[in-house]
Amino acid sequence: MMQRTLFASRRELLAAFLAAAVRAAWAADEGVVIPGKRPMILHNDRPEDLETPLGYFNTWLTPIDSFFVRQHLPRPEPIDPAAYRLTVNGMVGRQLQLSLDDLKKLPQFTVPATIECTGNGRGFYTPKVPGIQWGRGAIGNAEWRGPAVSAVLKLAGAAPGAAFLESDGADTGVASTPDFIRAIPMKKAMHPATILALTMNGQPIPDIHGGPVRLIVPGWDGTSFVKWVVRLSATAEQNKGFFMNPGYRFPKYNLPPGTPAKPAELEVIEGMPVKSSITAPEDSAKFAMGTIAIRGFAWAGENAIERVEVSTDGGSQWRGAQLSNPKLPFAWRLFHLDWKPENPGYYTILSRATDSAGRVQPIVAAWNPSGYLWNAIDRVGVTVGS
Amino acid sequence: MRALLFVIAAGVAVAADQATIDRGQKEEARSCIPCHSLRIIHSQRLPRATWSRELDKMAGWGSKVQDREALLEYLVANFGDDKAPAKPETSADGSTSGTAGAKK
Repeated sequence: MMQRTLFASRRELLAAFLAAAVRAAWAADEGVVIPGKRPMILHNDRPEDLETPLGYFNTWLTPIDSFFVRQHLPRPEPIDPAAYRLTVNGMVGRQLQLSLDDLKKLPQFTVPATIECTGNGRGFYTPKVPGIQWGRGAIGNAEWRGPAVSAVLKLAGAAPGAAFLESDGADTGVASTPDFIRAIPMKKAMHPATILALTMNGQPIPDIHGGPVRLIVPGWDGTSFVKWVVRLSATAEQNKGFFMNPGYRFPKYNLPPGTPAKPAELEVIEGMPVKSSITAPEDSAKFAMGTIAIRGFAWAGENAIERVEVSTDGGSQWRGAQLSNPKLPFAWRLFHLDWKPENPGYYTILSRATDSAGRVQPIVAAWNPSGYLWNAIDRVGVTVGS
Repeated sequence: MRALLFVIAAGVAVAADQATIDRGQKEEARSCIPCHSLRIIHSQRLPRATWSRELDKMAGWGSKVQDREALLEYLVANFGDDKAPAKPETSADGSTSGTAGAKK
């Protein structure tokens, strides 16, 4: 009897939830405001998928109020910092339950790292592929600070046979969507720059960006930067959940555009490719004769940016752009070139980055069925009037 | 006469399609909104086969679509890869309305 009552009330609860969700969806059409965020390119509001407009990209550190957001699942209820606990388990000598204070007592490291959504630039692929149609702005650069994951694993005593570290956030699936769980090889987990960030640009990490604790996996795809981390598990084998397989994998061998991947030939995405993006001028901009500032950012995953070249004639001639310092792995560099066209007309501006390992941005990005890792030489067209 | 018949037949076919498309829109409101807002659908332009695979994926993730055919026709008619790109949308300024990430 008790159970039946419970069931009825649950059903009522679900109905009320659905009704509220429908109301929220209609209300959203009248103008969405994301608290704490400047106007953002709105790909979705429930859950939030927000792209940074190009005009905001003029600082080495991207301010939190314009930092992009990609949520796979609805945000969990905000976590009370006092009640927060991180479970460390799996192949460890002793399981841990760490509070935020425990994490703050460990040595703290500052890591400047660019985070880019794995699907940033998906909207540029032809044929079109499903997923958020990001342009250039699902990327940002922040200073993250917190204890090294290796210090936490040392406290727990990870077993020698543990080959992977699995991380789970406090978010859970809706309907029967899978839980968002990611795993990285233990070697990357033990890297000194892999941290559990407690702050972002010097502030406690806002809830929308995964606070109070977010995993930072410098140089890797944004999907690895698990938000609201509540569990770390040392495991012998790779996690088999959707977000590790088939999600966020890339074809080992390039495919003819528009053709399906062979599941056995998909590999987990790890370090990000070399890439530059032009943030100014914007495509189709019009100018009077005079000096035009060409600006953008470039990063190369686990490598540093060595140079960025710019062409204003469709790629016939290239000139080196000025690069911001520092030159670091994991973090982007801003580039800048003042250009004074001699004649009016239409100009195709291109940018091409080279990294410290000699990797060069390709002319053509490798089409793939999920639209990941767009890194083609960037291109905008502008008209200069007489 | 034959041409006229053809025009009438074509007109009927279009009308029938529109009814299906309208049913598909209702199905979208019923079966998609419970989990996510519709922008993520309406901002995409995909071929029929890809929309069909998306419906399969969502079915696997718990969507309860009753009128799959109508929903697919609606998606192809409005958000097919032959349609003009979606107009980008921008959120209103929220930078003064609380700390980043406060729950709405």
